[in-house]
Amino acid sequence: MIKMLGLRLARLVATLFAVSVITFAMTLLLPGDPINAILPPTTERDPQIVAQIREEYGLDNNIAVRYKDWLNDAVLHQDLGTSYVTRGQKVTDQIKNRVPVTAQLALMAVVIALFFAIPIGVLGAYRQSKWDDQLTSAGMQVALSIPNFIAAIMLGWLFAIKLDLLPNTGWARISKEGLLANLKTSILPATALALTQMAIFSRLVRSDMIATLQENYILSARAKGLPDRFVLFRHALRPSSLSLITIVGINFGALLGGTVVIEQVFSLPGLGSKLLSAISSRDILMVQGITVFIATVYVIVNTLVDLLYIVIDPRIRRS
Amino acid sequence: MEKRRLARLLALLMAFALVAAACGGGSDAGSDGAVDSDGGGDDAATTVPETDTEVATTVAPEASKFGGELVMALEAEATGLRPWEDTCSAPCYNMSIAVFDKLTEQDIDGNYQPYLAESLSSNDDFTEWTMTLRPGVVFHNGVELTGQTIVDMFALQQEGAAGSGGISAANLATVEATGDLEVVYSLSQPNSAFPATLSRAPVGMVFEPAAAAADPDGSAIAPVGTGPFMVTDRDVDNETVMTRNPNYWQTDAAGDQLPYLDSIVFRPTPDEGTRLAALVSGTVNGMHTLRQSTIRDARAEDGISLLEFQGNNVGGGMYNTAVAPYDDVRVRRALTMMNSQDKVIEALGGTGISDPATQWFSKDSPWYSDKVAAAYPGFDFPGGQSLLQEYVDDPARSDGKAVGEKIEVELSCPPDPTLIAAMQVIEQAWTASELVDVNLTNFDQQTHIGYALGAPPDFTGQHGAHCWRFSSDSDPSVDINPAVAPPTPEIAAAAGIPDIVSPLNFTNYFDGDVFTAAVAALRTDNFEERYGLYESIMLKFAEDVPGWYSGHTATMIATAENVNGFNGWLLPSGDVGIGFPAAEGRYHEVWISE
Repeated sequence: MIKMLGLRLARLVATLFAVSVITFAMTLLLPGDPINAILPPTTERDPQIVAQIREEYGLDNNIAVRYKDWLNDAVLHQDLGTSYVTRGQKVTDQIKNRVPVTAQLALMAVVIALFFAIPIGVLGAYRQSKWDDQLTSAGMQVALSIPNFIAAIMLGWLFAIKLDLLPNTGWARISKEGLLANLKTSILPATALALTQMAIFSRLVRSDMIATLQENYILSARAKGLPDRFVLFRHALRPSSLSLITIVGINFGALLGGTVVIEQVFSLPGLGSKLLSAISSRDILMVQGITVFIATVYVIVNTLVDLLYIVIDPRIRRS
Repeated sequence: MEKRRLARLLALLMAFALVAAACGGGSDAGSDGAVDSDGGGDDAATTVPETDTEVATTVAPEASKFGGELVMALEAEATGLRPWEDTCSAPCYNMSIAVFDKLTEQDIDGNYQPYLAESLSSNDDFTEWTMTLRPGVVFHNGVELTGQTIVDMFALQQEGAAGSGGISAANLATVEATGDLEVVYSLSQPNSAFPATLSRAPVGMVFEPAAAAADPDGSAIAPVGTGPFMVTDRDVDNETVMTRNPNYWQTDAAGDQLPYLDSIVFRPTPDEGTRLAALVSGTVNGMHTLRQSTIRDARAEDGISLLEFQGNNVGGGMYNTAVAPYDDVRVRRALTMMNSQDKVIEALGGTGISDPATQWFSKDSPWYSDKVAAAYPGFDFPGGQSLLQEYVDDPARSDGKAVGEKIEVELSCPPDPTLIAAMQVIEQAWTASELVDVNLTNFDQQTHIGYALGAPPDFTGQHGAHCWRFSSDSDPSVDINPAVAPPTPEIAAAAGIPDIVSPLNFTNYFDGDVFTAAVAALRTDNFEERYGLYESIMLKFAEDVPGWYSGHTATMIATAENVNGFNGWLLPSGDVGIGFPAAEGRYHEVWISE
């Protein structure tokens, strides 16, 4: 067990190292001089100022030295550098400020998706090929087909413009405006993100449940006269959720980086929108920092999912 | 029974999730002044194009008009709120203008008038400008504004990324406090348009230098100015809340202290459709846009007020005249003649909104010239084709290709959907001539600018035919002079002016007469004389075509119907101010009616 954990940890570190090297290399391949991101575009380039800025950001050093310095600061001081564009603002601080938004969105999306997907999946399995299964399957097919930015626009149009119930932009922080205000600003983007996840999860639950419901112990439970609800949720759901847990884990990591469009549509101050603006303003250290952060979370979440898998399924643990 | 329960549960859950979040509590003095110069006639050298701003007839609102909150959706977040350091475009200006006062401001005719300055005058050759500040003005932190403040600001501006550029562009050499409220600016070169420099962020926006020096990074978040509003909460990329400055120095025409609003909330909302939807839905009660397609969509909405502005800024593109085949005027003219302005404007969504352009000044501008309009090579496809054929058949053609071979053109724009649509229109036209191979490229904004800017020492850039914007509502010298100065040390040396090299000459176009005219325009404040000089430059542009134009850029501030005061606000002199050029609002007289 300890050996396995050690291996997982080593794999995690190796993956993160590879991600940081690739990200660093890719940002260097981008065309243009970083000095253009730092100085206003229509400002004359005073050679003294340019030289001073190059020195300040270490832009005169060779690639290896720049990477080594960046990695040292990142690992030893948790300092991912200073933004080229906002000059003076730490990348780490910007990430810290935005993580709660993106994490909450991703978490809410997963919760909303599971909230609907599990009953729908269970219902589909229980009522396989009946009219209600076909109806929910068709509904999930639609949810899967609609890109989340289209869903976002439609939800905004319906709940903000037509029904005037929810705002279509902005983010109320819980610490400042309370939970209710926060939910009012987060429910639409989270729902838009959740739709596709809901469809994927419900299909997964349905197919796994259908297989589980054929198992002997389920037939035995039914023969004992246990109520259907009890059989479905107590005996069939748990063994049917192994693949669901994996997919939820993988998708949660992906959602952290996948909120870019949704955050843009709803003007939310999350990691995704920051990454987008950093790319377009050539804020290289910001792009690098956010990418590495997302990769780190993704890798950690997936490692945790692997471990959870072992906890849930004794057969894997034994093997 | 079980399945009915499941179905009911499902329906209940779906209804609950959306309704639950929707319910719940709502959140929901000046003395007259003048810019004078001893060196010229009565007409200020700093006259700039008049605007099409609609002047409100409202004078002063009653006391009941005080209060309220304006929630303003902006197209982007401000990079920072340090005038001396941060790049400032329209969204940033909206926020900065609420926090900082400028030393000068434009009236509705585009003339520069003292604003936080009480008076401003120059010596005979425009190398020395004496400014007197208004008395009794205090910063948000209680520090008094004095002449020494301006001197201390200068030290920070010299070090700042934005400030150093502004100082260099204005040829500003020293700033000296000659009295409690008197300051003398000394310039290394004559500059009759210096008041324009004092109306923009890097040099003209007044900040508290001690606070800025003590916490340069914090100043990007919570700057200290003398403006009508103070930053009370800044959540970058989410919202910036500003509250009324109770000690603001300006009063309205009735003598009531400004500003009217209790607070302003600025929200960056990058998506154009979302921003307009936010206004229509009431999520915000104000927004701005620099996109014609958004203006078109806003015109179709009911229940909102639209304040449109069409200034001098003009879209189009430029040719890199330093490289073949754009180094040949026949190519530049031909490509321009084969480019249908109307179709491009249509692709940009600007039909009926954006006026086709022929020069750097709109028809409303006093700098506009009919002669230039007539000289600009308009759409003439056969004429352009014939001219290009001449180049293609020329054995001495500059691109070194064989006679009869097509020219190669790299047409590049930032990856904006409307720009790409416009680019495709141009590409189709040029390709249809069967004389051009067009290579379309898209790079993000920074890279696009970086390619045009190039790198030291020659700054010739890596661009070909490059989407670009020209001009602004500032004095013509601000945009034109750097664009016509020698682009490389070699050209500067050849012209006998080795010390003058402008990286901002993006087209790399240089003509000795044009440069001489631009320099001469800074040595006089006589409007007719300056008009003639800038007209001569525009005529030369029309002849040598360093760039092409589509339409003038329409901009807009849109608000809920009960928001007033973006137009018709007054300068300390009592004259009506410029309004909201380039979707940059002034907020000190904005008020919300019942």
